[in-house]
Amino acid sequence: MNILDAIDTIQSIADGVLFGATYALLGIGFTLVFGVMHKINLSYAAASVGASYASLLILAGIKAPPPLVFLLAAICGGFIGGMVYIVAFRFIPLANPLATLMSTVGLLLLIDEIIVHTTAGVPLAYPALFSDVIIRAGPFSLRGDLMFVFVLGCICMMLLLLLLYRTKLGLATRAVSQQPVAAELCGISITGVNGLTFVITGVVGGIAGAMIGAAIGMLSPLLSLPLTVKGLIVTVIGGLGSIPGAIIAGLLVGGLENLFQFFRGVSERDLYIMLLLFVFLVFRPGGLFAASAERD
Amino acid sequence: MLKKYAALAASLAMIAASAIATPASAQERTVKITGFGAKSGVVRVFGVNSEAALKAAAEEINKAGGVTLGDGAKAKITIEFLDDRCNAEEGISVVRRIASTDAFVAVGPTCSNVAESLFGILQKKVGDASDTGLQFPIIADVAAKGGLAKISEWSFRNVPSEFEMYKSLFAWLKTQHPDLKTIYGGVEKDFAHSNATFGVMKAQAEANGLKIAGQSEWLLADATFSTQVREMKRANPDIVAISAHPFTTCGVLKEMERQGVKPKLLIGLTSSSSIETLQGCAKQAEGIIIPTSFAPVTPEAKKAAEQVAKFGGSADLHSAAAYEIVYILKGVIESQKIMARPDTVAADRVKMREGLAALKETTGLLGKVGRTPDREAIKPFLFVHAKDGSWQVLYKPAS
Repeated sequence: MNILDAIDTIQSIADGVLFGATYALLGIGFTLVFGVMHKINLSYAAASVGASYASLLILAGIKAPPPLVFLLAAICGGFIGGMVYIVAFRFIPLANPLATLMSTVGLLLLIDEIIVHTTAGVPLAYPALFSDVIIRAGPFSLRGDLMFVFVLGCICMMLLLLLLYRTKLGLATRAVSQQPVAAELCGISITGVNGLTFVITGVVGGIAGAMIGAAIGMLSPLLSLPLTVKGLIVTVIGGLGSIPGAIIAGLLVGGLENLFQFFRGVSERDLYIMLLLFVFLVFRPGGLFAASAERD
Repeated sequence: MLKKYAALAASLAMIAASAIATPASAQERTVKITGFGAKSGVVRVFGVNSEAALKAAAEEINKAGGVTLGDGAKAKITIEFLDDRCNAEEGISVVRRIASTDAFVAVGPTCSNVAESLFGILQKKVGDASDTGLQFPIIADVAAKGGLAKISEWSFRNVPSEFEMYKSLFAWLKTQHPDLKTIYGGVEKDFAHSNATFGVMKAQAEANGLKIAGQSEWLLADATFSTQVREMKRANPDIVAISAHPFTTCGVLKEMERQGVKPKLLIGLTSSSSIETLQGCAKQAEGIIIPTSFAPVTPEAKKAAEQVAKFGGSADLHSAAAYEIVYILKGVIESQKIMARPDTVAADRVKMREGLAALKETTGLLGKVGRTPDREAIKPFLFVHAKDGSWQVLYKPAS
């Protein structure tokens, strides 16, 4: 490996880790729903992309500043999250895990088609914060917008952890997550907590969608499926239900993805990421931050 | 009283007469042309544009009096458009459904993978009794992969030849920019059209003395291009040729801007000479040169573009082909004396096929369109470049 290759290798990892922050945000959403309801919401990435599309379409015709677009994406995300709960979880027997899983697959396709029919599948330009900011250090460079996504991911993680461990809502959420029957007997509304969890993850998803759009500079319905796959991989590697795990796994998957691409090309890149997933499923099914087996 | 009955009888007679007369006036004949293509999924825009173009052309023809059938009757053209979702199995199913009606021709599909499979279920050689393949003429408007019409004698295309377009483009570049020596490619590895066209670009670049400095690859749904653009930066080419569709083309162009990659010349894929590229990255795409078989540069093309827009579509090299096809079909219906009656369906299909096969030249929006013996089109084309947020004509090879 010559010096140029070495530089490119490090740069590949750095770029990947920064973009991995978007995967981390998605992973948080997947993992939060699983943590509370023990269900996988496969429509989550599509809803995130849908929220960012919605923010663009609502503001169509106005040259809105990027922060307003992002704020609206978060609000749309919360709304879509609530709708997903009502459609795919609220009235479907939770005792049948396959029913909710399939209903979210249906929603994934439905949201995708709504986007495609509303926009005729045309990719839309998405505004970016700090797109002109590039921090250079010799041959290395770091994108300002991706660093912002990275910082935002960390802030989201901290806020969610505060919400879960320092508020009554968090206490209720954890109670419902651990012992739903006992929580209900204590007067906690399971439906209310679950619904609120979907709204909160929807807000995070809306932010994630906006950040992804901003990082790429465009939105396309093509994004839903690969982001769903990446989100799931991150959730499994991070450990189902672990928010810090989702963050670390998101950055890890982003970095490795770029590294594999640099060394093995685009055709093999996803193969190695899938292999990584299988390795975790076999040898560490609880993910990076697997909790030790103990009583609740 | 008698008078009253007489009046009643007269009224009944008039009603009866008008009832008998109604079918005669309702017998205003119609010719149904069925288009099919992607109306859902991420390439829906192609289907939307094709449908709009078919309807726009049909409305023009209808306003001018319609089409003359074999028995001298005038008929209006109606357009129906079915969704194949860019899926080969769906495409075959859609065409089988169309063929089970009294339709005598279909226009489509959007995707080359659909066309390839679909043309495979048609009878390969006309009159071959041992071949029970579907005997139904299909004329493609969008599917761009080269040479598809060879698959069956029932298949036709009004699709531009990318080989001819890029051959001409690179020959022109050699005369205009003799100082450019190296070219670097970027290709959507999982998209047949991008791969096939990049093969054409590479061959033509080499044939014109350009050295291939390398190529980067990405997937249609990829969102990051930093590694690929860094490879490009290291190669430091004079020309960058991006054989990709608007979404990734814009992604790559934006990443090139971030990394400060500024080649002396940019070349794009035919399908990216569309409004989507300008909507996504007009600033970054500034200057990119793309050959295309449509631009609103003639009065006919301008009028067609306006008509297509009225029907909610955008005129581009693909939808313009659909627009032209309706006029081609009108000509064949009239020259072959097609009857368009339920009892003449089989004969009409044969006549339509024979009429399309016999064409040596048709009239296109940019001028005369030649027809090859293997049922392909030789369309006039020009080079456009992105300038000030729009596609502007850079050069007309024929002029």
